Amino acid sequence: MSFWRRRRREADLEEEVRSHLEMVARESVERGETAKKAEQAARREFGNVELVKEVTRDVWGWRWLRDLADDARYGMRVLLKNPGFTIAAVVAIALGVGINVGIFSVLNGAALRLLPIPRAEQLVSVSQIFHRRTVRNTHGETSMFSYSEYLDYSEHNHVFSGLLAYEPFLEGTLAGIKMQQLLGTATSCNYFEVLNEHPAQGRGFVDSDCAASGENAVVVVSDQLWRDTFGGDPTLVGKKITLNRMAFTVIGVAPPGFTGTEPMPSAFWVPITIQKVLDAGRDRLGDDNMSWLALLGRVRPGVMMEQVRADLGVIAGRIDQLNPGRTTSLAISTATFFGRPEERESLIPVAFVILAAFGLVLLIACANVANLLLARASARQKEIALRLSIGASRWRLVRQLLTESLLLSMLGGALGSLFAFWSFASITQFVTSHLPHMFSTLAVNVAPDFRVLGYALALTLVTGILFGLIPALQSSRLDLNTALKEDGAKSGPGKKSGRFLRNTLVGAQIAVCMILLLAAGLLLRGLYYAQTVDPGFEMKDVAAAFLYPKAQGYDETRATAFMGRLRERLAGLPGVSEIAQAECAPLSHDFSADYMTVPGRLDKVLIEYNHITPDYFSVVGIPIVRGRDFGPDETEDAPGIIVTESTARRLWPGADPLGKTLRQDTGREYSVIGVAKDAQVSHLGDVNAPYLYFPAGPQDNVRTYVLVRFAGSFTPVDKAIREAVRLLDPDMPVDVVRLEDYLEVWRSPSRIVAALSGALGVLAVLLASIGVYGMVSYSVSRCVREIGIRMALGADRTEVMKLVIEQAMRPVLIGGLAGLAACAAVSHVLSSMLFGLSAHDPLAFISVPLLLLLVALAASYIPARRAMKVDPMVALRYE
Amino acid sequence: MGEKRERYQNRIELLQGTLDLLILQTLQWGPQHGYGISVAIRNRSGELLQVDTGSLYPALHRLEKQKWIKAEWRISENKQRAKFYQLTAAGKKQLTRERSKWSQLSDAIAGVLQPEE
Repeated sequence: MSFWRRRRREADLEEEVRSHLEMVARESVERGETAKKAEQAARREFGNVELVKEVTRDVWGWRWLRDLADDARYGMRVLLKNPGFTIAAVVAIALGVGINVGIFSVLNGAALRLLPIPRAEQLVSVSQIFHRRTVRNTHGETSMFSYSEYLDYSEHNHVFSGLLAYEPFLEGTLAGIKMQQLLGTATSCNYFEVLNEHPAQGRGFVDSDCAASGENAVVVVSDQLWRDTFGGDPTLVGKKITLNRMAFTVIGVAPPGFTGTEPMPSAFWVPITIQKVLDAGRDRLGDDNMSWLALLGRVRPGVMMEQVRADLGVIAGRIDQLNPGRTTSLAISTATFFGRPEERESLIPVAFVILAAFGLVLLIACANVANLLLARASARQKEIALRLSIGASRWRLVRQLLTESLLLSMLGGALGSLFAFWSFASITQFVTSHLPHMFSTLAVNVAPDFRVLGYALALTLVTGILFGLIPALQSSRLDLNTALKEDGAKSGPGKKSGRFLRNTLVGAQIAVCMILLLAAGLLLRGLYYAQTVDPGFEMKDVAAAFLYPKAQGYDETRATAFMGRLRERLAGLPGVSEIAQAECAPLSHDFSADYMTVPGRLDKVLIEYNHITPDYFSVVGIPIVRGRDFGPDETEDAPGIIVTESTARRLWPGADPLGKTLRQDTGREYSVIGVAKDAQVSHLGDVNAPYLYFPAGPQDNVRTYVLVRFAGSFTPVDKAIREAVRLLDPDMPVDVVRLEDYLEVWRSPSRIVAALSGALGVLAVLLASIGVYGMVSYSVSRCVREIGIRMALGADRTEVMKLVIEQAMRPVLIGGLAGLAACAAVSHVLSSMLFGLSAHDPLAFISVPLLLLLVALAASYIPARRAMKVDPMVALRYE
Repeated sequence: MGEKRERYQNRIELLQGTLDLLILQTLQWGPQHGYGISVAIRNRSGELLQVDTGSLYPALHRLEKQKWIKAEWRISENKQRAKFYQLTAAGKKQLTRERSKWSQLSDAIAGVLQPEE
């Protein structure tokens, strides 16, 4: 109903009532009463005029709206009258809501937003889920498709205007003045058409680019690569560039800002059919059982998601039928970053933990505001009692109080969201720039969209009800007689239930705070532990050079010759004392593992392994504790292997491992010739994982780490190694790092999480200590009379203070213990970031609670001092 | 509250829903304003039924919202502007329905109250 019609109705009702009263009055006058008396009689007759009007308005059905406006106006006045309270509450809510909205906008940007391409809502990503355990070759994720499967879906669907396939994360080495490692994409030739991203210069791919395989090397480069590497050369299109030793003709430059459909930007695009030439020796294109292609389809206008599912499901069913033993289902969803099932699965728990941690801080803020409201409610007891006694219903009062708290939360939520929108873009940039370089280019758009705004609004409303409801229910449940007769300030330490509520809130705050702080403490301890722990091998003064000759077209023979010459050169470098080669450098995040059987036992054991040259153990300083090291010419053809101590203990408990055998799935048997000391060579903090060493053979030279023990500083050695490689083959990329540098990659996730939870913890402590401070100072102000009496009766000042602090500490202790128990129950989720430190590390579990206790003591000491200064005479004369 | 209850003791409390019937019935004799309706009900019931204004006006507005009666401003016999209510066609039908409902109800109650023979 419109506002103006409402206004007219209101005036109408007013006049109707007035005319009624006049008629009653006139009749009385006619009966001979005085005008004044008559009017009084009329009013009596009409009962409570306002009430009648209100009940009548009810019939119109918009009373709630008017009430809401009234409540909001009244609430605003109340808030303006108590600026101190209002500011404290709004700031607490703004902090809580702000960081939550901020972190949500990051998650939203990472995983919920549509892809940043034109009409992205039409794009769906298609994945397949294998239900029965089938043998499937995988390059990327299992949920991806083979080329033949892609062609099947592309040709036989009726729902897409185009379906594209691409291989994400294709590594390419760009030759030039400076060699560059790039991340690119191999795509089907309808890629730019389907995405509707037409190259800014030149052209996109056409079908003929994909027709023949390996002949027509064409490439589209990203706008950024064009600008940064080719200096914005306007004649680049048509020129040739060299990628992985192959000449490619540049046919186009992608539109500015287009970086592909993965969170990590793509620098170039090549036709999918070039794959087997580019990645020498591996033919993924022809392997029908190979998962390596991600699928994106543009849905025809007017086609519903259900139709897409049904149509593609038919094709999936047919493929299943043609391949006995295979059962798949399709996962089809609107295309976003991190959209594949595997990526979702790893992202969702992380996102959940992060949101929960941030939510906890909001909870503390809510508890704070609720406590403030409770304290203020008792100051407003008289007002509320008055309103109840003149006929306001309890529900009406609760609504009024809730409106006030919603106003507060709206103010705080708006302020906090603005803060989040303004600051989180720069915070995200700061954080990603401190990630290890492989993540630093993540393209996350944290700008607010309708989802973020919706989240902010929902969070604000929930917050307002969360902190407002209990105080509202509590304070509207009044005993009118006592409330009106007594002044609130005189009625002792407050009503029992009110105090219980306040204590519960403070206890909850402390509990939540304890959880956050303990998590931060554990992670910091873990970091320190990782920095000081002995990994069991010598990482100082060892350089690791990674070479991948196979990617440059070398076969085994050429690679072996190349490595032989390289090692000769390296051995001649000044300062270099020892050289070894390994399939996986220690802690380099390079893992290999295989299932092995122990003869005489049924179960298979998953064992990580490494192929190493004989000097490996002496370069990294791992002693052989039993048996012997590999001989200089020993290769995998000889059956000898070396296992670690803990592996030997696990596989052959109590027996001598030397001479024991292990069998591969292929049937080959190996026998143990030596036992090496345990070392954390694979996962930092994990010594006990089964691990074994094979001797390296020529086949290991096509992809290898060269470990060089040197004396002196790293820089000249780094330079000399690169120079040695360049002299042998100027186009061979090489990556040289110190072994210690690998540690950094291990530590950075826990460093980020520790920083995050530390910051949250500090915020939580701040909010919780304000909560404790508020509670104590409030209860002191309520107890002035009681304290006065105690003092008048001879109580000591320190005794009074002890009493106050004791009272304050009870909820703190109970809450703290609860938080401690809760954290102990869930802290194991952090264990992957603790590097072997116990998830119940006693140092963290003792020092953090002590710290929190100290803070709580300090927060209650300051207001408690006021209790000491109470002058009994003044307190007793008060009122 | 206590005082109010006392004042009403010597009157008959209207049954829930019967006020609507009385208003519709009163309006059958012609358009009338709120005060007139209350006076008419009082007089025709021999001063026994006193319509509480706090019930009368909400009832009038409710009936208006149901489109059983409509209202317009007119000048009363005392040269005073007043809001006159009158029955609509739907209101007349409603009155018939309510009347038959009421006579069924009163028959039923009379049957129950009849002394056994």
